[in-house]
Amino acid sequence: MLRVIQNIFLFIILVLVQVLVLNNIQFLGFVNPYIYILFVLSLPVRMKRWLTLILAFVLGLTIDSFSNTPGMHAFATVLIAYLRNGIIHLFTSIEEGNNPIPSFYSFGVGAFVKYVVIMVIIHHSALFLLESFSLTNIWLVSLKIIISSFVTILMILGIKSMFKK
Amino acid sequence: MRNLINFLIRYSVMILFLFLEAISFALVVNNRDYQKSVFLSSSNTLVANMYEASNSVVEFFKLKAANENLAEENTALKNEIIALHNQLATLMPQKKDSIRFRIPPEMEFTYISAKVTNNSTNRLQNYITLNKGRRDGVRVDMGVISDEGVVGIVKTVSDKYSVVIPVLNEKLKINCKFKKNNYSGPLEWTGEDYRFARLDDIARHVEFSLGDTLITSGYANNLPEGIPVGTIDNFKIKESDAYYNIKVKLAVNFRTLSYVKIIDYKNYKEQKAVEQKAAED
Repeated sequence: MLRVIQNIFLFIILVLVQVLVLNNIQFLGFVNPYIYILFVLSLPVRMKRWLTLILAFVLGLTIDSFSNTPGMHAFATVLIAYLRNGIIHLFTSIEEGNNPIPSFYSFGVGAFVKYVVIMVIIHHSALFLLESFSLTNIWLVSLKIIISSFVTILMILGIKSMFKK
Repeated sequence: MRNLINFLIRYSVMILFLFLEAISFALVVNNRDYQKSVFLSSSNTLVANMYEASNSVVEFFKLKAANENLAEENTALKNEIIALHNQLATLMPQKKDSIRFRIPPEMEFTYISAKVTNNSTNRLQNYITLNKGRRDGVRVDMGVISDEGVVGIVKTVSDKYSVVIPVLNEKLKINCKFKKNNYSGPLEWTGEDYRFARLDDIARHVEFSLGDTLITSGYANNLPEGIPVGTIDNFKIKESDAYYNIKVKLAVNFRTLSYVKIIDYKNYKEQKAVEQKAAED
């Protein structure tokens, strides 16, 4: 129960921070970090997969409605929500009975960093490719993906390292 | 039958995934049209109210610049009034024998002033939300300008808010021309820098130089002629090209945009109707 309330809070705070602060940051001219996916990244490992998908969809749509991009964030977020379990199993071996929240402490530093990097890159690639919707701007889009992913990863790892759990 | 049910249970997560992705993708694709529904955009009342609240804080920090702009505009307007008074005085005697049947050209446009409540400059498709909507007389397809120059075109309207598709959006092409020789071409944003855009279709024989001013051509029914768009920043032409590749420095600073004017063109309906009729025949 406590976890549910914590997650609801996390959802609201992440959406507010993303929409009111980060969407206004124009780092290096056109780079926009998207840290709201931290919500999907830090859902418990054994969360029901259908619930993860639905939550990701709702989160994506919320961000979409604030940034005039119907569907784009929803698409990218559902995609990483679906791939999440596979990626977690790739890097870690968590015992049957455990249900930890992904973090440096439960995964180990190396595994957690790999997990965050892969998830963020998949999300940002899907998002920016969907935004441009063609291959004419492919260099600009790749540059955006690389720089934005880098900033997002740094921010997410920074936030995570502040919490001891 | 049992196999089918087993199959559905086994792949339920996958099916849900595909279903949600299909919805998202459909939303993205439908949104590529020039007109889109008000739903799920920042002219949505809840979202817009929240943006307005956050904007009231940010606005405070922009007050000084806005004040300076207003003062400048004020003096310019006052000077213009004096100049017009003088002109009017000289023209007075001739007025008797001219009877006017139509709206005089200087009264074809009126302005609706509006405040920017949400604005982005860092995406490939940027949008601007304004705090005026249908009940203030805003219609879809009206032009939007600021004191500095052209901003964009109204895309969606709700009762109290409207969303503008600005020059900083690949979907919008504004037809503009050189102030000094009237050669015109479409202006398009390249998606990289909010200060610059690209001008196309200027043929090799056209003469111009760095720093030349570009204004709107008035060939559309939403932006009148003569509004500043930008200045020539740089241009290139290869030996084999027929057209110049021109980099334009935009007149408007989209990062500091806070007050704009929406242009209400009185003859919009009539012009649109007659153009449509011509296209149908």
